[in-house]
Amino acid sequence: MLSRVADSLYWIGRYLERAENITRLLLVTEDFSTETQGLAEDLAQTAWKDMLEIFPSAQLTREITPFAPLSVPYLSTFFTDQANAYSINFSIRKARENARSVREALTLEVFLALNEVFRSVEAYERKGMPDLPAFRDALGAIHKGIFTVVGAIEHTSTHDEGWRFLKLGESLERSYRSALVLRTRLPALLAAEARGDAPLYYTQWRMLLRGLSSLENYRRVYGARLEPNLVIGFLLFDADSPRSLRYGAAAVRDYLAAISGPAELTAPARIIGRLHADLRYDDEAQMRRGDFAGLLDRVVGELAKTHDAIATQYFVT
Amino acid sequence: MPEKKAFDEAFDKKGTARQHYRPLVSILESFTQGEIERRERLQKLSLMDQGITFTVYGQKEGTERIFPFDFVPRVIPSREWERLQAGLVQRVTALNLFILDVYQGQKCLKDRIIPPEIVLSRKEYKRELLNVIPPRQIFTHVVGTDIIRNGAGEYLVLEDNCRCPSGVSYVLENRNTLNRVFPEFFKYYPVRPIKDYPTLLLDTLLHAAPRFSEKPVVVILTPGMANSAYFEHSFLAREMGVVLVEGRDLIVEDNYVFMRTTQGKQKVDVIYRRVDDDFIDPLTFRRDSLLGVPGLMNVYREGNVGLANAPGAGVADDKSVYAFMPELIRYYLGEDELVIKTTGDSGGYGMLMGPFAAKKEIETYLAQVKKNPGNYIAQPLVELSAHPTYSDGKFEGRRIDLRPFILYGASVRVLPGGLTRVALRPGSYVVNSSQGGGSKDTWVLADKNA
Repeated sequence: MLSRVADSLYWIGRYLERAENITRLLLVTEDFSTETQGLAEDLAQTAWKDMLEIFPSAQLTREITPFAPLSVPYLSTFFTDQANAYSINFSIRKARENARSVREALTLEVFLALNEVFRSVEAYERKGMPDLPAFRDALGAIHKGIFTVVGAIEHTSTHDEGWRFLKLGESLERSYRSALVLRTRLPALLAAEARGDAPLYYTQWRMLLRGLSSLENYRRVYGARLEPNLVIGFLLFDADSPRSLRYGAAAVRDYLAAISGPAELTAPARIIGRLHADLRYDDEAQMRRGDFAGLLDRVVGELAKTHDAIATQYFVT
Repeated sequence: MPEKKAFDEAFDKKGTARQHYRPLVSILESFTQGEIERRERLQKLSLMDQGITFTVYGQKEGTERIFPFDFVPRVIPSREWERLQAGLVQRVTALNLFILDVYQGQKCLKDRIIPPEIVLSRKEYKRELLNVIPPRQIFTHVVGTDIIRNGAGEYLVLEDNCRCPSGVSYVLENRNTLNRVFPEFFKYYPVRPIKDYPTLLLDTLLHAAPRFSEKPVVVILTPGMANSAYFEHSFLAREMGVVLVEGRDLIVEDNYVFMRTTQGKQKVDVIYRRVDDDFIDPLTFRRDSLLGVPGLMNVYREGNVGLANAPGAGVADDKSVYAFMPELIRYYLGEDELVIKTTGDSGGYGMLMGPFAAKKEIETYLAQVKKNPGNYIAQPLVELSAHPTYSDGKFEGRRIDLRPFILYGASVRVLPGGLTRVALRPGSYVVNSSQGGGSKDTWVLADKNA
């Protein structure tokens, strides 16, 4: 397929996944912040500030005032604000722009679904959200809309090369963002162990899992009890959870292999293959070592390198 | 009403519905106002949801608008269409022979059928292409001819578009929309289907391949997303299942054209280019063009790629050439011009349809007239027929034209339908989408006795 088209499809995958991640993180953080602000306002504040590290070049475009709820500037910045390159609005817009430029490579259902989400984000931007329940409602609707697009991609597109590039973008973005969420929140969480306020402590672990849509999946494997080591192991090394780093690296590796054919080992395939092997075979040693910040830095770095290598291999010809 | 002088498509002078409009009128009368409004809302929503839009130039980059659609269909009875079709086939056949002649031999110029200076001085005439003849001698693979009806209801040709006529995607989408929003309309009419246009177009393009390779690779070349007809380019690529390329996706090597793919370079055999001649190859034509493919014309000259329409074809859709159509048809085909007539039948040097021209066009034109007044004639404006149109809650006459699409492949075929554009403002003659025009579904009826 055309390199330009593959490039656009890859980015549609990335932007859709990014929009979904932002939506989920906003909903989860808003829950957490409402729940904890009376108990420990600093924790609520930190949770919001984390957004700026999970999306490293994002900038808060609204002012924080003592009169409005803490959530509002963050919600506006990351939901409707076009000036923030990591808002839902920005990501959906970009996904649609890319879709418009390769419309013939998408099914009608995909385009219609994407166009619909785009139009509802536009409407929310125009109308604005008067209060937190309105934000929540709007985010919920957008979340559903994004899943509709993803479903349309899955069930109406031929699973051919174009689809693989889209899924490649999706899995790379997912792993990259999950790694950043973990990198941002895990060290603080591990350090907080000593504080002793147990319910609050577990609320944070719960938020971490929910932020990576893994709470229910975790419970299904390990039951309701949140054991930090089990949670970390689950989020990093689980074989079946779609948001674990190991699963993500395997997905990127598999889509790359399907694109190039099994015989060829391309530059991006080498990078992701090595990373996957670490996550797949070195899990126990990593858990023993406990240097999660170091591991996560490496994951983030290798994924960035994989992206660059993909661009060189397929998009710049 | 300002449309009084116009021929009314649906009602005769006494105000009685013409026979082929009677069922439609009674269906519409059976709807309540509220029902019609509900359907109209549905229809607008469906256009926006599907992104059936065109891009407006001169505004913020990438501004999209929907092309307004009027749900009252235009109905053309089968016998009327048979005549139109015969006229169009004749016309396109003659136009193609004329272009072929201009680039090889120039007999018509030597025989003074048309004054040579009229042809040779046009910028659409490409001297670089003399004796460069496309595969199977076809220049005009896709033609859109603009037709109007005068006060007496006669069909007249306003202009031929032999370069890259657009609008066919709206023809197909209008039918889809009407099917969905007013399914009742179709119950009483044998409307001829148009959905196979993409298949016919693909056949036509395959026929333009330089040599009969087993499976020629066809692509559509678009100027890109910012182009006003981008929706159509993408639509046709999707419908035909071919790759939509931009200039930067193509590369010329060893006198062949290739596209850049994820698996390396792939050879291209036929390019349905929706980019004008002037922009197609910066090495041959406009050097500042970023839309084209450097070296493409050399590949074409070598006979290694088919281009549709062929470069140079624009020489036939010049308004001054158009005035000589009756003579050209007689010259090449030995026939009289069929039912559809040329509007001004004495030769004029360029023509300006006041109400159809852009302001800048008028200014340039006036400057030319002042410089050389002897070369110009003035004519009263030709009427356009009027058609019932739903506007502000009521049905009123609005002026319309018609652009049928003609494909020249193994044979010359006319799509049974076309783009009916409508001037949505009362009294207006301007049917252009960028200036308050809209469009209608166009029904060609099957002959029930055939």
